[in-house]
Amino acid sequence: MKFIKPKDINNLYEIIDNIDRQYLLAGGTDINVQIKNGIIRNPNIIYINHLKELSGIEEENDSILIGSTTSFKDIIDSRIIKRHIPLIHSSLQNFASPLLQTSATIGGNIANGSPTADVIPILLALDAKLEICSKISCREVFLKDFFIGYKKNVMSNNELITKIIVAKNAEQKYQTFYKKVGSRNSLAIAKVAIAGLKKVENEKIMNIKLAVGSLNEYPRRLFKVEEYIMGKTLIEIDFNKVNEYLQQEITPISDLRSDKEYRYHVCVNLIRTFLNE
Amino acid sequence: MKITFTLNKEKVTINVDPMKRLLDVLREDFNLLGAKESCGEGECGACTVLLDGKPVTSCILNAIHAEGKEVETVEGISKTKLGKLIMDCFDETNAVQCGFCFPGFFVSSYYYVKTDGEKDLMKIKRALSGNICRCTGYEKIFDSVMLACERSN
Repeated sequence: MKFIKPKDINNLYEIIDNIDRQYLLAGGTDINVQIKNGIIRNPNIIYINHLKELSGIEEENDSILIGSTTSFKDIIDSRIIKRHIPLIHSSLQNFASPLLQTSATIGGNIANGSPTADVIPILLALDAKLEICSKISCREVFLKDFFIGYKKNVMSNNELITKIIVAKNAEQKYQTFYKKVGSRNSLAIAKVAIAGLKKVENEKIMNIKLAVGSLNEYPRRLFKVEEYIMGKTLIEIDFNKVNEYLQQEITPISDLRSDKEYRYHVCVNLIRTFLNE
Repeated sequence: MKITFTLNKEKVTINVDPMKRLLDVLREDFNLLGAKESCGEGECGACTVLLDGKPVTSCILNAIHAEGKEVETVEGISKTKLGKLIMDCFDETNAVQCGFCFPGFFVSSYYYVKTDGEKDLMKIKRALSGNICRCTGYEKIFDSVMLACERSN
């Protein structure tokens, strides 16, 4: 086991370019539990929580940039977030617990890549992008294209998430919706989570964005359901069709928190609730 | 690795494995036994301390997280004026049963009363939602924080 604390961000890029198996340590709320439970053994740890370049929330032209090691508490308390993207502010209130909100980071929640990660459906519905950087270059990837399997993503070993990018007007003129179904309000791992945005004109749903967590190997947008709903009025929507498309897009499992039938029905009901709002 | 931080208003430096859990650093290296280990996974709040003034679960933080920062434990906070006031409220409402979760509840309550302090039950419940009491004495704990909000204003 090795522990490295990079001097600065360039030093960090240099280090991750040269070490094969490594874990980046930011808030530590996931990694320390995994170390405790023996899921991670003798890890090479690279500490990144002290690097100022990776933390903070700023406005740049038409975008809001959230540094990857920004804590959930700082995001919830941010005036910029409250003003431009209130969905993030309101939906994160029940993220983990107030104690974990202080330590846990947004980049960590994404990189850890849990199917139940709270922030991912919210960011998916907002069409968020990630800035991913290595020693040589930076690239932007839509969050919807980031995951490729259970806890797998498109990053190489020498890259890290540096920023989360959300358009300033991402939820302008949209009605928003977020519901996390768990056993209690705090510290719940979601059985089902859904985030949605819809734009309604003359009763017609002109645009809709739906993202779900805990229903696939990683949180996903429901593009087929969206496509079916778009352009219709509520009366024109056939919920048998919605069910049909939904079945093509979610693959809920039964586990210790819930069973797959329950998850499936709750998801359908939540979509219905959102459309009726 | 040498790590320097402020512990209960005093500057300290220790030579420690940077991955050692902050909770163990406090308990083993500084003999501060107030913060407890219960779940060891950040779920129960028995190990709550303040890091740069904000409540955290020290069992899933590492020594390195404290570097250059300010750590306050139940031992330090209970000596402050507000800490004493809150302690009295817990005492008067008989909110402490077995006592194991109390240091954590105390730190979360202190943070709430200090930074918000509104006598609002829902807000208090949310502020204490990261702490679990297995004696299930929540009502009296909420009563004591309500009383503390009233008295501190």
